[in-house]
Amino acid sequence: MKPVMTFALMTLRSLLRRRTIWGISIVILLALFGIGQIPGYDVSNEGRFILDFGLFGLEIGALLLAIGLAANIYPRDREQKTVMPLIAIPLSRGQYLMGRFIGAAMVQAAAMLVGCIGLMVILLLNGHPIPADLFPATCLLLVEGWFLLAVVFFFSFWTSPPLNAPLTVLLFILSQMSVSGFISILPGAEGFMRFLRLLLPHMDVFHIKDPIAHGVGIPGVYFLLAALYGLAYMSFMLSIALAVFRSRDLK
Amino acid sequence: MKYLSLIVLLALITLTGCRADYDIEEVAPPEHLAETHEHDHVHTETEDHHEHDDEECSICAETHDQEHVHEHDDDAISASDRHVHEAGERNHGTEWFFNQPWAARFIWSKMIRDIVILTVLAAIILLASRFRLRKKR
Amino acid sequence: MTNLPIKVDNLEKTFRKSLGFSSFKAVDSLSFHVEKGEILGFLGPNGAGKTTTIKCILGLLKPSSGSVLLWNDHPASKNVRTKIGYVPENPDYEDIFTPIEFMTMFASMRRIDMRKDQMISILGRVGLEAWANVRINNFSKGMKQRMSLALALQSQPDLLIMDEPTGGLDPAARKEFRDVILEENQRGASIFLSSHLLSEVETICDRAVILANGRKVTEGNLDDLLRTEDLFSISFTVPGTDSDILERKSVNAADLQKTIDELRQNGQNILEVKPVYRSLEEVFLSATRGGNL
Repeated sequence: MKPVMTFALMTLRSLLRRRTIWGISIVILLALFGIGQIPGYDVSNEGRFILDFGLFGLEIGALLLAIGLAANIYPRDREQKTVMPLIAIPLSRGQYLMGRFIGAAMVQAAAMLVGCIGLMVILLLNGHPIPADLFPATCLLLVEGWFLLAVVFFFSFWTSPPLNAPLTVLLFILSQMSVSGFISILPGAEGFMRFLRLLLPHMDVFHIKDPIAHGVGIPGVYFLLAALYGLAYMSFMLSIALAVFRSRDLK
Repeated sequence: MKYLSLIVLLALITLTGCRADYDIEEVAPPEHLAETHEHDHVHTETEDHHEHDDEECSICAETHDQEHVHEHDDDAISASDRHVHEAGERNHGTEWFFNQPWAARFIWSKMIRDIVILTVLAAIILLASRFRLRKKR
Repeated sequence: MTNLPIKVDNLEKTFRKSLGFSSFKAVDSLSFHVEKGEILGFLGPNGAGKTTTIKCILGLLKPSSGSVLLWNDHPASKNVRTKIGYVPENPDYEDIFTPIEFMTMFASMRRIDMRKDQMISILGRVGLEAWANVRINNFSKGMKQRMSLALALQSQPDLLIMDEPTGGLDPAARKEFRDVILEENQRGASIFLSSHLLSEVETICDRAVILANGRKVTEGNLDDLLRTEDLFSISFTVPGTDSDILERKSVNAADLQKTIDELRQNGQNILEVKPVYRSLEEVFLSATRGGNL
């Protein structure tokens, strides 16, 4: 574990130097503050509006951060040949993947935490209470972000960064769809579409902005199950990514 | 790699079954869906029990002391309507809204099942790729 | 089976091109080995398959057929990797770190307990002591080469694999590099040196393998490779008026005995008979049939 954590910290420091990450984080914060400036119909609606759109902003932020953080890591390592001395000697491919993943996941966690605190500040500045479920809801969005990070890593082992981003966004969109909605894309091939939908995750599991915005209490068990579901899917994606990476030649 | 992909696909198909997912319309018990299509909703509130229209209903959305039942037309529902539903119940006119898995307890067991399946699959893939790597040596 | 640091047996590596419809054989039926404590030069023109072979040795590429064993173990195995040092061709590192930070991180990743003064000492060996705390983005290509040698030396490796290690270095730095390689060899490390610089190989290597078009064209002790099989040089003295005059004569092996007899009959004093040595460049060019160097 020590080599992985050392490499993860090395990745963290390296990622924090990239302008892209700061750019995305600043855009998220600006968007959150922008949401706070939009007047609602009444006080209760304004609070709901800020919460609803704020959490939506964090969700999109998680997606953008996943792509911004991970899409270019492996291709860049390959292009600059920095991956060679690492994998040739101190790290196995699994350790390389986990180190890079954990480093990027730490940056994402920090960015989402800042986003959550930003949202809380905006709520307070506008005179609205902070719902108890706001932090757990952000944690679920973070788990979703980590899953997307694993997806981006998976794509990065066999596609180029320009293709990685649209593929991840496509998976993000399709994974939000209900089965019936997904089948309606191609109603003639119901069985096939049903099967395809089965392979995709159910990302709506992580989206609880509406109930939170409407003040509905969410059972703690649900948070736990949804987080475990996200982590299990993330592990599944990482294991596929590693299987692909292990089978790849490093030319 | 091809064999591994095939095993994963087969495992996904056989273990979860194609009908099982989180689409409430597909997995909810029939009596559950029958109730929702009648547009009967249970609302809760902290304020005193009172007669109210849909606008007033929005006030009591954040409260949970007393329950009452009322009926209303789809036309009378606006975007600002808020209703507290029983777990898994659909909202009228805005099916995306409360069609959230968190609400339905019968979804939870499916989530546990998927967590187990995904974890097992991840372990199988890891072991298989490691076995394949060693076999090549 | 002897426990050779490197044993490559019938190695073949084919790359697929154009969506798998055509292929290119980068290395073909290559066999050689590195013995414990020796310095092996690995030579070949551009595109001969040297880097591909090195990547197979390091486990970065999977052989299409044949085998690569390091101490009878797979290159990617943990035991093997702890004993290797690798100096890549044109190394590049994440440039936000300093050499000392890199040394610290690599030591941690390799699970080596190393104090800062020990790291500074290694950096000193490669001439980077004064640059220990300077970010790598300020480094020249040659300094990055030194950095990669420092990282390779960190674990006191039993085998040093070097791919064109002196490519970006000036002559003085090249000499320093050579000295470090020889020091490591004297410590007991085996060295696998791929290089374009034939003079370098000629100076420090015990044996050489020459590659062309993915195939081994020749292999042997440097002494055997450079010695011409059928040409000998005879040094003898011719009696002069004041003193004897030293002369040399080259003869074919077939005529050697006859020439010696004739010289003796003429009263000339034969001082030395030795085989004629060629330069490694001549050996290389003849072996690779004039391939571009």
